[in-house]
Amino acid sequence: MAYFQARRDFLKLATKSATATVLIPGSLGALGEVALRGEDKFVRSICEMCSSRCPMEARVINGKTVLLQGNAFAKEMGTSLCAKGVAGSSQLYDSQRLVSPLIRVGKRGENRWREASFEEALNLVSTKLSALKERYGARSVIFSSKTGEHYDLLRSFASAFGSPNVFSHWSSCPIAIESAFHHTFGEKLHRDFENATYILNFGHNLFEGLDISLTKAMAHFCANPSKKLVVLDPRFSIIAAKADEWHSIKPGSDLAFVLALLHVWIRDGKFDHTFVEQYTIGFDALVDAVKETTPQWQQTRTGIDASVVERIAAELYAATPRCIIDWGHKATTTQAEFQRSRAILIANILMGNVEKEGGIYLTKSAKRVNALAKESIVPELNDPFPRLQINEPRIDGAGEEGAYCFVSKQHGVLTAIPEAILSQKPYEIKGWFLTRHNPLITVADPQKMKEAMEQLEFIVVNDIYLSDTAMMADVILPECTYLERDEGISTLTCKVPTYAMRNKIVAPLHENKSAIEIIRALAERMGYGSHYAWKNSSELRAFQAKGNAELLQTLLLRGVASFDVPFFCARESSLVERFCERYPKSRAWVDAQGCFGHLLTHLKTPSGKIEIYCDAVEKIFKGYGVPRSVDMDVSQGLPYVLTSGKSAVHTNGHTQNVPYLSRLLSSNPIWMHPSTAKAHGLKMGDTFYLQNAIAKEKATVFITEGIRPDTLFAYMGFGRDAPSLARTHGKGTNVSKFLSLASAPICGAMITNVGVNIIKA
Amino acid sequence: MAKKYGMIHDNNLCIGCQACNVACRSENQIPESVYRLQVWVKQEEYPNGGLGYEYHRQSCVQCENTPCVSVCPTHASYKNEDGIVLIDNDLCVGCLYCVAACPYQARYVHPVTKAPDKCTFCHESRLARGEEPACVTVCPTDALIFGDLNDPKSKINKALSERVTYRQKESLGTQPKMFIVPNHKGGIRS
Repeated sequence: MAYFQARRDFLKLATKSATATVLIPGSLGALGEVALRGEDKFVRSICEMCSSRCPMEARVINGKTVLLQGNAFAKEMGTSLCAKGVAGSSQLYDSQRLVSPLIRVGKRGENRWREASFEEALNLVSTKLSALKERYGARSVIFSSKTGEHYDLLRSFASAFGSPNVFSHWSSCPIAIESAFHHTFGEKLHRDFENATYILNFGHNLFEGLDISLTKAMAHFCANPSKKLVVLDPRFSIIAAKADEWHSIKPGSDLAFVLALLHVWIRDGKFDHTFVEQYTIGFDALVDAVKETTPQWQQTRTGIDASVVERIAAELYAATPRCIIDWGHKATTTQAEFQRSRAILIANILMGNVEKEGGIYLTKSAKRVNALAKESIVPELNDPFPRLQINEPRIDGAGEEGAYCFVSKQHGVLTAIPEAILSQKPYEIKGWFLTRHNPLITVADPQKMKEAMEQLEFIVVNDIYLSDTAMMADVILPECTYLERDEGISTLTCKVPTYAMRNKIVAPLHENKSAIEIIRALAERMGYGSHYAWKNSSELRAFQAKGNAELLQTLLLRGVASFDVPFFCARESSLVERFCERYPKSRAWVDAQGCFGHLLTHLKTPSGKIEIYCDAVEKIFKGYGVPRSVDMDVSQGLPYVLTSGKSAVHTNGHTQNVPYLSRLLSSNPIWMHPSTAKAHGLKMGDTFYLQNAIAKEKATVFITEGIRPDTLFAYMGFGRDAPSLARTHGKGTNVSKFLSLASAPICGAMITNVGVNIIKA
Repeated sequence: MAKKYGMIHDNNLCIGCQACNVACRSENQIPESVYRLQVWVKQEEYPNGGLGYEYHRQSCVQCENTPCVSVCPTHASYKNEDGIVLIDNDLCVGCLYCVAACPYQARYVHPVTKAPDKCTFCHESRLARGEEPACVTVCPTDALIFGDLNDPKSKINKALSERVTYRQKESLGTQPKMFIVPNHKGGIRS
């Protein structure tokens, strides 16, 4: 045996070994051989490797291995999980994670730190925040977080503190579509991909931005030869490759294509007249708005032949109501983003697919289902995160008279922050509390954002890595990974009421604390303890569940809880009948057509109906009440449009340094068409510069036929300046650096397509 | 009756997301410099001038007629009773004939044991517990189907009877138990 081993040693093939760079001894790295303190069992929880929050489960074997997979108790998941989700264990054991609170010792951003105990760090944070409040007022501190429980916690804490300046990541992500839904339906709807037969997709790339249940449904849709998928995207993405048709549309011109579709349907009278008549208002205004937007008109704007629009319009109409015009998640293309999103929703409305199988549907929440059944069939939850009303203007003017009057005060406009800090208008900003938020990577113009951050007196960051933004902090509070912490109950409801809960899978490997512990400890220290009805995660859960032990037990054991409520579409009489059979009192709601039509006439819109025309919007933003051809330019006179998106193995900014994932994709060479590369004398892998008015950055080129000659594409989240992210530091290009702080009208969305020049290195 | 394990990789469902790759690494503790399984997403230009992506599963295809076993001088490489090709590290002398003989480049030298290693259908980690290989379990799009080819009622046999499949390098006579459903969504013309 020894001989064999020696011989194998002798013959071993050279293998490339990667070394983990430990920059700050003690606080980063130095994990060594940490044994897992779990048991050999499955624990069910919720993934946090991206924001999709898929139910997952973890297996801990022999105290060492963790395999993460989907939680099959969530029916639509099965045991499926994406690469990011499965790599959660790689993040857990990453030697480059933050494992101790850090307090800045050098200049801001210099990346020089000393380790501190949580006690010291939390004391410092509470003292500093209280001092800022006393000196400049509570409003002088900004609070920001990505949405999820972190955000709920922080928003609640900010209201106890007294600051109106709470920001979620929404304005850098889904705010346009959320705003469009709000103004059209008063709430967000979902897509029934499983039962659709025809889908028109505008770059909603579920095969690279995965959300397991949706991705799975879309994959089976694509693989089914009797169904049809049409993808419009300037890039030949994975979903474009799975489509029946791909049209490489000019970036930013989706709106023109949809307006032409609307034109054709209205011109030919081919839309669901009855539905429009019964459930919507403002159709006449739309007729007027799309009079001129012919297929011929769109051809010069989109680069797609007029005949294609005519054909697709006919095909969609033939497939009604089992057709979906898919709106995507974050596809903020131009200034016209609000109009684009609204136009897509209205296209669905004209096809009469609302509350139809294979169409789009309202969330069947516990509250909605209970109201319909006229009995409590699904437990409803308490909100454990109280919010006080703050009667102060926000620094971005969100929700107040002005440009952002329609932006929710809950979410704000991130791109307005730098200017407000630098100009001290409307008032002075002195502090910023960020939890799991990395605006220097994910928000436009990080150069300016950094400049603004340098002006602040105190910055505190809660993260699990020493990110680019954390580098700017005075205090870094290292959070546990999601595998090491308990959270409250979250709602996953789409088709039927569903709850899920994040359960701790292993005890924290280090001294890290959860956001619940961090925020609650700060609240206690600062005298806001009585703001909360709970002291720790167990009490929080019990409060949320209103003491419903059965619900809590299910969530502890299964990770998800659903309640055997049959799915229904309000306009499918057979499904309505099935619901009524189960819950006879709900018959009182059934209308003459055998439907729950009242759901669509009692929406949270001003009229209660679906609003094709929004009077409130039109009054303040003339011309925006119905979709019109506006603001579609993205190139700003420059020859190329730089676009960006996700890969299947990374999020927008969080996963690039996770060991397993970093190895799969460690940089983001810029996609370029061969003719463009040739024109600039570039060969595969060459270095060049991208340049526009605000940035000039080095990039490498990836030459492919899969992109328009006038368009460039990059995966997001690279070009990191933080040396502590040793695997990804200095690799690739941070495309946010090219983006302008100007946001889209009405919704306040950051715009992620931008004009650039190619400069030879 | 002995089992005969096989797998289907459906290119119509595969999206090249690498969940299988990461699950394999995680479950089998594969060192970072090597891999048992990757999916190579390759851009193809078809004769009609259209574009497409092909999703090539790069891993052991579990041959019935096994060049790696045939060339092994010490019987370290062997096929077990369920048709899975395995390596007995204690018998391996590290000659690497098997690495050279494999027509699918499926074998690598494990940097710790210094013996050749490759996909085992998670024989040692999961099959014994009655579970499917990790790649099959996590696949987000159900592109992988695993099962017993000797069982006429198995999921894999049902799928083989419904889907057109081929095997890599069939002409070599290696009879892989890895079946591929070709991508019918190719040749998209913009």
